[in-house]
Amino acid sequence: MSYALIVAEVRKGIFEERNLDSAGFASLLQKETVLLIPEGPYEIPPITERVLKVPVEEATFLNPLFMSTLIQKVTELKGKPDAVIFTSSSSGTELASYSAGKLGLPLITDLSAYDKERAVFFKSYYSDKIFGEFKVKGEGQFIATVRSGSFKEFAVTKIPATEAMEAVAAGGERTFLGYVEEEKGEIDITKAEFLLSVGRGIGSKDEIADYEELAGILRAVLSGSRPVIDKMWLPKVRQVGTSGKTVKPKVYLAMGISGAFQHIAGMKDSECIIAVNKDPEAPIFQYAHFGIVSDVHKVRDKLKDIVRG
Amino acid sequence: MNLLVFTKRVPATQEEEVRIIDDGKGIDLAKIPFKVNDWDNYSVEEAVRIAEKTEGTVTAISMGDRESDEVLRRAIAMGAHNGSLLQLTEPLHDPSQRAAIACNFIKKENIPFDLIFTGVQSEDDQFAAMGGILAAKLDLPYVSMVIGIDEIEKEYVIVRRELEGGLQEKIRVSLPAILAIQSGINEPRYVSIMGVRKASKVERKVYEAEVYNDAPRLIEVERWVYPPKKGGARMLAGELDAVCKDLLGILKEKGVYQ
Ligand SMILES: Cc1cc2nc3c(=O)[nH]c(=O)nc-3n(C[C@H](O)[C@H](O)[C@H](O)COP(=O)(O)OP(=O)(O)OC[C@H]3O[C@@H](n4cnc5c(N)ncnc54)[C@H](O)[C@@H]3O)c2cc1C
Repeated sequence: MSYALIVAEVRKGIFEERNLDSAGFASLLQKETVLLIPEGPYEIPPITERVLKVPVEEATFLNPLFMSTLIQKVTELKGKPDAVIFTSSSSGTELASYSAGKLGLPLITDLSAYDKERAVFFKSYYSDKIFGEFKVKGEGQFIATVRSGSFKEFAVTKIPATEAMEAVAAGGERTFLGYVEEEKGEIDITKAEFLLSVGRGIGSKDEIADYEELAGILRAVLSGSRPVIDKMWLPKVRQVGTSGKTVKPKVYLAMGISGAFQHIAGMKDSECIIAVNKDPEAPIFQYAHFGIVSDVHKVRDKLKDIVRG
Repeated sequence: MNLLVFTKRVPATQEEEVRIIDDGKGIDLAKIPFKVNDWDNYSVEEAVRIAEKTEGTVTAISMGDRESDEVLRRAIAMGAHNGSLLQLTEPLHDPSQRAAIACNFIKKENIPFDLIFTGVQSEDDQFAAMGGILAAKLDLPYVSMVIGIDEIEKEYVIVRRELEGGLQEKIRVSLPAILAIQSGINEPRYVSIMGVRKASKVERKVYEAEVYNDAPRLIEVERWVYPPKKGGARMLAGELDAVCKDLLGILKEKGVYQ
């Protein structure tokens, strides 16, 4: 059988949106599509032709040691999949690389586009400044992780045929102990109408006070990209992006942020994005509605001067 | 406890124009400054902290050209005890091949370890795959996106790994194991130029990576291209004063500023 195996991303009983991207990419391969998913209360949309249910807990399913064994089992039962597709999430990335190592298959991560005529995979380098066009060698089988938001359109809409699998042994050297929720913070940036977001480009922690002041006079809420939070210039609850908060303000003013995909994913649906960056080639300008090529500090100081009159 | 930590020298392209040359066959990095991969900085720090606590050793390993010695010296300045360079004659774009070299090197040279650290990803190719493939090849358990190490014992560690939207999961992993370290796990110590210079006195071993390369290339770059333009922003140009007034105008129009 010639088929593409899509590994479902599930979390706390929820079937994640980004599975649609995996299915979108799979449909471009023009093979039968099979969704691999743990048994559970998931609401599975009709995005594949078949569904394989595995009688395990979600946490076991998401254990790389278990997943690589599971894919081997599927291979024994159904033959080698032509493609094994994961999402580009925290777990998808972990599962895909380990499985690629165990199965000896070519791996393309963070796949952004696919040219089906040439069988060419597009993968971002240097935070989206360059793309590499990749080909897989050998018989054409591969493992990929799919960047969310990249493959939105696909055709399958019929109710899939569901099959149950027998359990396989779990990888015991790694055990899930539980989830840890983030502490509720002093402010909820997802509620703000106007976010002033600062990135590594502001240079140092000493600058934060001045941006806070600007946010104050513009009545904006201050947020930041990941490095700003990692360096503890701002608290974690102010982080915008995949591992921070997804925000959708009326205006998102990004100052000194390059526009890495993990950041963009958290703010791309803002009504109006304005970016200030000294690099005219900064990827964020591709997503912004308005752009200013300038030193962020100069813009900050000038804005303060004008507003104060 | 013996710790191995992989550290990579990468071009710092965030503020630079990256040009494609030779009809898409190459990328011009000649004028671009290089630095240690951000994520590796955190993993070197974490390894050094654990070694300090457990009276262990940290071996920094870099795979790259001769210049990668610079990141080894940096790791030593941060507290690593020694460094090994797996010298490449050309860049390798396939993470499976890189992991194979690392795996064979560790096995053939009998490098002792309890824990291996990699960064979650490298800034240049963003593959986020080295740790996972290496773990599979060495038949070790693997955890990526590690944002906290809460407990460390002889036989196991308890770690927190980061998921999306601020959620984390707690995981117990048997040792030996491979952990891919996420940024923000600690605050990497500052190293001075003097410190890096002093680290030059510590011996670093150089190995030819090719000797350990028995794996076929599984993927190949055909060409480099610029990403498709998405339409992009309307650029506000002119004098700074006028540009900032335009910006305020937009804020007013959107109703977020009076
Ligand atoms: C699993 C995972 C999860 C992640 N989650 C997130 C997340 O939730 N949120 C997030 O933001 N990132 C996240 N990241 C990190 C992401 O990949 C990038 O590293 C990060 O977004 C870069 O932040 P930045 O744009 O502030 O910094 P950089 O990429 O360093 O960019 C700084 C920018 O500032 C500009 N600049 C510098 N000086 C000036 C100046 N004086 N004036 C004007 N411009 C200037 C530069 O040209 C550059 O474009 C994640 C990464 C991984 C692997």
